[in-house]
Amino acid sequence: MTAESQQIEITVSGKPVRAAPGETIMHAMWAAGMAGEIQTGCIGGVCGACTVTLRFADGRPGGADLACMRPVAAGMQVFPYPVEPMKTPPPQAHPTADKLRAAFPTLDRCTKCESCTSACPMSIPVMDAVLRMQKGEFESVAEDFTTCIHCGLCRFVCEDRVKPNDMGMWLRRSLGMSRDYPSLEPPPAGDAANLGPQWDYLLPGDAAETLRRARAFRNTGKTGE
Amino acid sequence: MKDWAKDSLRRVSRTRQARADQPPPVLEDAATEALLREFHPDHVGRGRPVGLGANAGGRPFPPELADLLEADGPLPENFAPAADLETDVLIIGGGGAGVSAALELEESGLSVHLVTKLRLGDSNTVMAEGGIQSPLGQGDSAARHFADAYVGGHGNNDTGLLRILCEAAPDAIRRLARLGCLFDQNPDGTFRLRKGGGTSIPRILTCRDYTGLEIMRVLRDALRQGTTHLLERHAAVELTDDGQGQVTGAVIWNSATGKLLTVSARAVLLATGGSGQLRLQGFPTSNHLGATGDGLVLAYRQGCRLVHMDSFQYHPSGACYPEALAGQLLTESIRAIGAQLLNIEGVRFVDEMTYRDVVAAAILRECRAGRGVNTPAGRVGVWLDTPLIDIKQGSGTLHRQLPGLMHRFARYGIDPAEQPLLVYPTLHYQNGGVKIDGQCRTGAAGLWAAGEVTGGLHGTNRLMGNSLLDILVFGQRAARSMRGSLPRRAPVTLAALARHRENLHQLPRRPAITAPKLYPDDCGLKIKIQD
Repeated sequence: MTAESQQIEITVSGKPVRAAPGETIMHAMWAAGMAGEIQTGCIGGVCGACTVTLRFADGRPGGADLACMRPVAAGMQVFPYPVEPMKTPPPQAHPTADKLRAAFPTLDRCTKCESCTSACPMSIPVMDAVLRMQKGEFESVAEDFTTCIHCGLCRFVCEDRVKPNDMGMWLRRSLGMSRDYPSLEPPPAGDAANLGPQWDYLLPGDAAETLRRARAFRNTGKTGE
Repeated sequence: MKDWAKDSLRRVSRTRQARADQPPPVLEDAATEALLREFHPDHVGRGRPVGLGANAGGRPFPPELADLLEADGPLPENFAPAADLETDVLIIGGGGAGVSAALELEESGLSVHLVTKLRLGDSNTVMAEGGIQSPLGQGDSAARHFADAYVGGHGNNDTGLLRILCEAAPDAIRRLARLGCLFDQNPDGTFRLRKGGGTSIPRILTCRDYTGLEIMRVLRDALRQGTTHLLERHAAVELTDDGQGQVTGAVIWNSATGKLLTVSARAVLLATGGSGQLRLQGFPTSNHLGATGDGLVLAYRQGCRLVHMDSFQYHPSGACYPEALAGQLLTESIRAIGAQLLNIEGVRFVDEMTYRDVVAAAILRECRAGRGVNTPAGRVGVWLDTPLIDIKQGSGTLHRQLPGLMHRFARYGIDPAEQPLLVYPTLHYQNGGVKIDGQCRTGAAGLWAAGEVTGGLHGTNRLMGNSLLDILVFGQRAARSMRGSLPRRAPVTLAALARHRENLHQLPRRPAITAPKLYPDDCGLKIKIQD
């Protein structure tokens, strides 16, 4: 336990909250009985529910973050900042910049203010990715959005209604559904014919024998021992 | 970390190069059994039999769970349900299983409502890191997948369910690919397949260490573009029935307004997930806020049987430091690509890629024997030697393959490529659950179940990558079964709850709580019903 004297003070929506150094904003809010004042999902940094904006009275940079991941700091001012998801247009196979523009007409409104990039709790180079989307450089954009948790902060802070995370989703799905996967080709007919004997071998009708045979089978992938 | 663990860290880094190519310690079968008996929480914990319902007097359950099953429901005694809303299919749960089912019912012509306690996708699915199994590699087969999972599950798996899982795996991947999921590929376009603990051949597809996030965000996006009626922040607090044993809907609590909503449905799918937030035996958990075993409680009151309900998975590598990350999952992939587990002496003590229950038990043994490392916050753990990965696989591997891990620790000034992490088992998965058949039917007519809320499929120890597969395959099967044998609409009553309340009087001691629990204790949230 942290001694009372070691505790620090933050504010949440203007209300003072005592917190232990090293704990997250979320846990400090729970301890203060304020769980009802913030959206909560995974408590693991991947669902994007617990978005907050942050300020410091002394002018240190604040910005936006996830309450479940951000440790408290003395003098931190926290404002819960829930973001509602929006309905997105369906993805399209073989995406082009024109198709993206048709689905997201605000694509070119970006004024390069970089608010989106500084708001991203996952450190995605959001604005740069938007500029590459305009040029149709989709593979690198899809890569950048691999870590996107769709908290929606980039969209929410954009004064020009650009929707970076939703475009990222559209692009990733559009690229994904266009891919050919050799691994998913139907197997040669001979392989399927082998399966019958494998199941007969593994499922003789006696659980102990199934376990014994499964142990042997997993070493070789063959029914002979 | 440099200060309070510096002696141990020095031993770890001094031996690193020499350990790089060492084979793992081998444990004979008998010694493995003894290790599990002596140290695994399933065997160590003192449970108690439940006093009522389908499992009354059977195998002991964890007391935290037995209390919930013996608790009263939250509805007022005088509450009389009257349908506020009629639908064909009611899906309870907005994780992978529920959404998989809902998507399968698109174009069925049925009206589908999906209710979820938190928001769509706030679930254990989105937190899954490691991957999803499918036997797509050279020399692999559905039967080999089955054999691995069956041995891993100690032969306690329902063989019918497990065979369905393994045979349906390639189709599940095909379905995800069509929806636009991006899996990691080799330069020749084949999927990059990884080994997991207990897989005998590489079989796990990944999207870096965000596989669950990738699957959940794509499913969620597709669901929002479809016709499912979505009710977020709506928690099911009781199932309704017709008084003749058929489930006919549910009473739902809107957590934003506090109001109750009674839904009449022809079929109800429980896809409520697991129960890590019960924090059995004081373990931390890797689970999301809502994992409080609600579906077990709801189904049990309808007379459904629970199987393997004394079996839980403690993931070997939960974060143990820094304190803010305690309990969070550090994916098995970290070990799969080369990180070793070491005690305070810098000595390996288990094959890192054997079954999860065995690895967890071995870590608990080391900590119990004083060979763990103590953190300033009073936790104890063992080293996960992550710097080995870049040594074995080449510089930059951690950054390329495990961006989630790197991002999380960077906030705390920790670079896993430079220094090892401390880990301790974390309550991760509910192995047991509601008994279902191959069509996902429970013992109660009108009630189907899919995903982590169910039991039997994984036996008493699940393999990595089989639960993402589970939710996709069985969510879809449940949907097909409901569609194919949709019951007639029947009256909405609380007959089962009334019977449960009668039975409560027979108990020697009644827990002073209501269930479903909905939220973990430490967050302070509680159900408050408004008239």
